[in-house]
Amino acid sequence: MNFDNYELDPSIYDEMFTRDGAPREHCRKIYEALSEFSAEELGSIQERVTRSFSSEGITFTVYGDEEADERIIPIDCLPRVMGGADWRQLEAGLTQRLKALNLFLEDVYGQARIIEDGVIPVDVVRGCPQYRVEMRGFSAPHGTWVAICGTDLVRTNDGFRVLEDNLRVPSGVSYMLANRKAAKTSMRVLYRSSKVQEVEHYGRVLLETLRELAPRGRSDPSIALLTPGVYNSAFYEHMFLAGEIGAELVEGRDLIVNDGFVYMRTTTGLRRVDVVYRRVDDDFVDPLVFRPDSLLGVPGLLHAYKLGNVALVNAPGTGVADDKSVYAYVPDMIRYYLSQEPILSNVETRLCRRPEDLEYTLDNLQDLVVKRVGESGGYGMLIGPHSTQEERNEYAEQVRADPADFISQPVLALSRSPCLIEGGFEPRHVDLRPFVLHGRTTRIVPGAFCRVALRRGSLVVNSSQGGGGKDFWVLED
Amino acid sequence: MLSRSAQGLYWMGRYLERAEHLCRMLRLQTEALVDRPVREIYLGWSRIYGAMNRQPPMGSIELDGDEYTLADSYTLADDLTFERSHPNSVWSCFALGRENARQMRHCISAGMWTRLNLAYLRIQKLEIQDIWRTSPESFYAETSVEIDTFAGVAESTMYRDEGWSFMQIGRLIERAQLSISLLLAQTSTEENTDSDWISLLRIRHALEAYNRRYSVEVKPSQVLNLLVTDPLLPGSLCRSFDVAAAELASIAPGPDSRSSGAAHRLAGRLCALVHYEWPDRQDREDLLWQMSRHCRDLHDLLTAAYFDYPIEDSPVL
Repeated sequence: MNFDNYELDPSIYDEMFTRDGAPREHCRKIYEALSEFSAEELGSIQERVTRSFSSEGITFTVYGDEEADERIIPIDCLPRVMGGADWRQLEAGLTQRLKALNLFLEDVYGQARIIEDGVIPVDVVRGCPQYRVEMRGFSAPHGTWVAICGTDLVRTNDGFRVLEDNLRVPSGVSYMLANRKAAKTSMRVLYRSSKVQEVEHYGRVLLETLRELAPRGRSDPSIALLTPGVYNSAFYEHMFLAGEIGAELVEGRDLIVNDGFVYMRTTTGLRRVDVVYRRVDDDFVDPLVFRPDSLLGVPGLLHAYKLGNVALVNAPGTGVADDKSVYAYVPDMIRYYLSQEPILSNVETRLCRRPEDLEYTLDNLQDLVVKRVGESGGYGMLIGPHSTQEERNEYAEQVRADPADFISQPVLALSRSPCLIEGGFEPRHVDLRPFVLHGRTTRIVPGAFCRVALRRGSLVVNSSQGGGGKDFWVLED
Repeated sequence: MLSRSAQGLYWMGRYLERAEHLCRMLRLQTEALVDRPVREIYLGWSRIYGAMNRQPPMGSIELDGDEYTLADSYTLADDLTFERSHPNSVWSCFALGRENARQMRHCISAGMWTRLNLAYLRIQKLEIQDIWRTSPESFYAETSVEIDTFAGVAESTMYRDEGWSFMQIGRLIERAQLSISLLLAQTSTEENTDSDWISLLRIRHALEAYNRRYSVEVKPSQVLNLLVTDPLLPGSLCRSFDVAAAELASIAPGPDSRSSGAAHRLAGRLCALVHYEWPDRQDREDLLWQMSRHCRDLHDLLTAAYFDYPIEDSPVL
């Protein structure tokens, strides 16, 4: 099958082809291999990949969708490929960014020097709903507030941009591993000859990270993964990761806190837990401190954490650092704490809380993406060029009513990567979520969950909004 | 092992055993629809509903003309197979078994999960009309085989930790209880024919064993002895109780030591009843009732000892 009808748009970066239509240097091999496959072969590869997802039950849940409570994330069988040099740049940038974000959290819940020094306005931080007063004065062990981070990156003609730092309970890593497994078995020869860097050791790296954070003196810590339960959209991932790291998969009702220690209910009695990798949001993690109506959490968990008797990963309160308003200040944080220039750039962001930004946003709605500060997962946003005048008017009213709740960004020309669509190669927009782990040192597995906006022309890659995924290959040099 | 995981595996074992048992009964019953007299078909349905202690959807089963009984059979099979709201239909048992497996996937082997999930994906889409017109008995046969295959994959791949033991205990208690209900349904009826006894043997996977051990001639007392006391028959009460007691003995005592001790003693008592009471007892129906009660109590004791114990005075490890 050939790429003759593959459409290139000079304003959009294509992951496989240069502007003049030649395959990029590191993509030559895969380009040739894909060209040699027949349409039938590719069709059967695609079918096998989809089938393996369904038989293994690799599913997620879409909220408000009672019919299909277990959905399969659509997977495109063509991998996205990146050269080793590009990856090293990303790696350096991600490490730098997470380091600054952890320093920010330690500072903002401590002396708040960054506010005092006028780098970030106080109301941006304190006004953020994810700022947890309960954490004030707390210093996280080893300064690690965020141990697991899933940064969303996009590529444009001007290079990489960080779209979002997901610092609370980022998900998607199981898809990175599942996509790899599927791609590997369906494109055996190509995979072997391409010299792709491995990602399969993610579980081991995660385990090392969690162990580094165990309270002092626990050489063989007992680790539990706290899930909100089977109805959570990422339950498959929770179960999968628990298996990968050999942790117990627990729900709030399996844990109790007694005398400041955390225990789980086992068939032989109460067993102490040293590290809780929690996939429950801050709001629900401890009803004594946060939402009292939460049944998902564990009363007293935060107290045990503050006493240093248990490690909580990630720490409560990290949401203040990935807030959409605070995001705008991350480059300044890097300069402030590390005295370095940011390696990875932000997307130019306007905060509607600032009158001049509000005015600009309202005047240019048709060209901007406007997001609610408190929302995630692609909910509650307006994509200007894809909206009607009526939608924009309605949205503008909401923005005017509570400007501080909104930010705006230019519509990015997200890069595109070839996908197999109805038996032919077609470009689709993609983003990238690599996972950065930090216990006492930073570790990044050379891979990512690559999300694809499978609908033609769509820029929305979120799985909850009709996005899919594909494998992402980082090649050895 | 986490109590909730152990409980999930225990229930997975129970539900899948229940689904398989029901498939075997329904397979025989749908086979009977092909060539057996209407009266036998009628008795067959009554027996199944009786053993499940459940009311048929139309209230009661009437022995009427040919066509009525066959038309009723469709409704009855649908009720027992695909009725989502019926917690003991094949569909519900299978779905619940699979749901427990889904939540405890990290405690079972990958092969077990894939097997079960594939079977579930197949069944999930079906409705009674999909299986009825061609060959309903093959649907039941295939589903039985799928559960047997699952058990085989478990046997050869699952780590023999507590999870294995709880899964086995769940299966075996369920198997014994279902067996006892069948035996009670059979012994309480006066008018059993040879073919009823043969059906009973087939439901318990015991016809070949019976023919080998005794003969092709069917004697009710021998059928009962085989199904209750034969230690070589996988589905016999004797074997179910012996293996369940052995699995229970291999698990460390539960945090609620009173219930835990009582559970161990009760499992032993069940073994003693089939080994030492059964051969000399005349009132076997009474004995079966007693065993049935003990099975229920054993379930409660296990729950109290391992899954749902009070945490106030439980040991800290």
